Amino acid sequence: MSRFRRFLRTPEAVAGAIILAALIAMALSASLLFPGDPQAIAGPALLPPFQDWSLPLGTDRLGRDVLAELFHGARTSLAVGLAAAAAALAVGSVVGTLAGFAGGFIDEVLMRITDAFQTVPSFLLALAFVSVVGPSLGIVVIAIALGTWTGPARVARAEVLSIRERDYVASARAIGMHPLAIAFREVLPNALPPVLAMSSVIVAAAILTEAALSFLGLGDPNRVTWGGMIAEGRTVLRTAPFLSIVPGIALVLTVLGVYLAGEGIVETTAVRRGLQ
Amino acid sequence: MSLLAVSNLTKRYRRGGKSIAAVDDVSFHIDPGETLALAGPSGSGKSTIARLVLRLVEPDAGRIEFEGDDFLALRAAALRARRARLQMVFQDPLAAFNPRATVARVLDDPLRIHGIASRSERPRRIAALLERVGLAAELASRAIHEISGGQRQRVAIARAVATKPTLIVLDEAVSALDVSVRGQILELLLDLQRQERIAYLFISHDLGVVRAVAHRVILLDAGQIAESGDARAVIDAPRSAIGKALVAAAPRLHGTRR
Amino acid sequence: MTALTSIRDLTVTYRRDGTAVAALKNIGLDVVTGERLAVIGESGSGKSTLALAIAGLLPAASRIDGRIEWPGLGRAPLGGRDIGFVFQDPSASLDPVMPIGKQIAEVARTHLGLTWPQAYAKAKNLLERVRLPDPDSALLAFPHQLSGGQKQRVAIAAAIAAGPKLLIADEATSALDTIVQAEIVALIRRLVAEDGMTLLFISHDIALAAELAERIAVFRHGQLVELGATARIVDAPAQPYTRALLDAHIGLDAEPLLNRSGLAT
Repeated sequence: MSRFRRFLRTPEAVAGAIILAALIAMALSASLLFPGDPQAIAGPALLPPFQDWSLPLGTDRLGRDVLAELFHGARTSLAVGLAAAAAALAVGSVVGTLAGFAGGFIDEVLMRITDAFQTVPSFLLALAFVSVVGPSLGIVVIAIALGTWTGPARVARAEVLSIRERDYVASARAIGMHPLAIAFREVLPNALPPVLAMSSVIVAAAILTEAALSFLGLGDPNRVTWGGMIAEGRTVLRTAPFLSIVPGIALVLTVLGVYLAGEGIVETTAVRRGLQ
Repeated sequence: MSLLAVSNLTKRYRRGGKSIAAVDDVSFHIDPGETLALAGPSGSGKSTIARLVLRLVEPDAGRIEFEGDDFLALRAAALRARRARLQMVFQDPLAAFNPRATVARVLDDPLRIHGIASRSERPRRIAALLERVGLAAELASRAIHEISGGQRQRVAIARAVATKPTLIVLDEAVSALDVSVRGQILELLLDLQRQERIAYLFISHDLGVVRAVAHRVILLDAGQIAESGDARAVIDAPRSAIGKALVAAAPRLHGTRR
Repeated sequence: MTALTSIRDLTVTYRRDGTAVAALKNIGLDVVTGERLAVIGESGSGKSTLALAIAGLLPAASRIDGRIEWPGLGRAPLGGRDIGFVFQDPSASLDPVMPIGKQIAEVARTHLGLTWPQAYAKAKNLLERVRLPDPDSALLAFPHQLSGGQKQRVAIAAAIAAGPKLLIADEATSALDTIVQAEIVALIRRLVAEDGMTLLFISHDIALAAELAERIAVFRHGQLVELGATARIVDAPAQPYTRALLDAHIGLDAEPLLNRSGLAT
């Protein structure tokens, strides 16, 4: 696995990978380490961190365990971030491929729809969607994806426009391959690398958008979210700033980790392609 | 009856507001088992004709009859089914294959698409195809970018003959190959023609190769037919201006020119 | 007969995916001042590596052993000044967003210390010499406005702008059709004669090499197979590989491969 070794040779990629691994470990171990409801009362209210070692990060306004909330919040952040980014990339690649490959009227229609989505600020779009449909995890994922699929769609279309003129596409037509099979078997896989290169930015943005929605009280009310924790802490910002700072740091580290690891992957694959 | 009859074929392109005829009222026919060469300088329209005949590009005017049917009237599924009979080999075999493909996948495609062999039977058919073009069956598992240029062009030929076509369009199919490999590929093509009575539309700028492998030749200039006839007769004594220029420009080992 | 450049024991190694690949192995070769030398070979023969090595254009990651000396120059050559290089793809060597007149003038200005007006006058003169139609308006044209053959003429003009001693043409006509190829070969022959340049002509085409060069060097797998006067190489090759290359050439007088019997035409 020389690609893996090359990945490990870039320091920022390693840092990103470590942060991400820690985050995933947090998310996976949340229900093992903190089996109960993270929103249940665990001790006295507003206990500062590092006072009681059974509640190492202290408690919030209602006496809930901050560390347990942080672990469970990691689940939400990761799940929403990855799912929204995956949905945006999938929808974007398919729309971009169809538009670029079909051309003409279909291209025109799909790209005008893309324009329409792109002209509305993506956060407003998510906000409006959740306000109308109601907050739940699935809805938040869709709401974030709604505002982010246009970037991948444009990149995929531009790539497809150049690939569809290549000989191997002509060759696939000449042997009688169905146009949809050509689009999705021959063209799309070769158009993906630059689209996937956007994934780290999209995941990071999705995590931040989710946090912002939760901060505004539009997250899934049945789940702990970092954004929600920050919003909760805001009311006691002067007396217990750690309630906002702890999830804030978690958020910054997560976005940084995703971004660094993503850049590392892009760099190693770029080096590989450069060698060939 | 001709295998392929092309009449009054015309294709125009727009460039800078002007309409330019890449192919201008071209008519020809190919008989079963025959090699017809199209030769001419760059921009003479020979590659455009190849793509028109295959309907990779649609003509502005003209008629193409293939195996007795109006080829231009075929739509969607009927056209894709008929493509089994009419194949193509490109100049650059690396560009003509999906960069992610393996040899097996490249040969599996036509067998699957045209229902020539069942899934379980296909590996055996792929091995047989590879052997038919002089390659080892073990090559099937290799990636396209791992094998040599000559091997790649053999794979391209195997893919073209997989559906038992009656006509193969060879678009500069040997131009990018090393000379030592080129002779072998030409021998392979002629061998396939002898055994399976495949006709070739042989596109080339190299008159030496055309003279060596084609029955008849059409010399093109600016989208029009300048001269046509028996390949050796035309090239040994060209009458058109472009024919004379092409013959004069061909490099000679014993430099007799000027 | 002095050697312009003298190559001794030249070995060039590239690193590819961690393994070393020898592109040239122990090459010894003299390029005689004023001669037209063709280097021919198939892909992987090392002929382009040799051209790049002589021009000092090898990628930094390659390892070079042996010596390249310049007795005919008496000093180390300056790239672009003493050596003009013409690549296969003229689009790749011309700047797409700079008028061609400026590209040629810049070479003349950099190496000959001319002022801009002098350099432009020189560029116009060069465009006339490479027989580009309407040199005055061509000075202001961009590469994409020219045909492939015209672009190669411009690339040649830029290559000879500084008055190099050695002109290296690396597959300079391979991307062109037969007619344009013949024109470019004739142009190179004329310019080399007029300016008394030495020519190193890299090609895969033995017939083309035979038409242009006085001597031919045959390369295979990074080694020099045979070197000799063109007539001797073509008429009495000493090596079986050279013989095979000559036999593989399909000229206008070649015996047809096609067995015509049994096919009605």
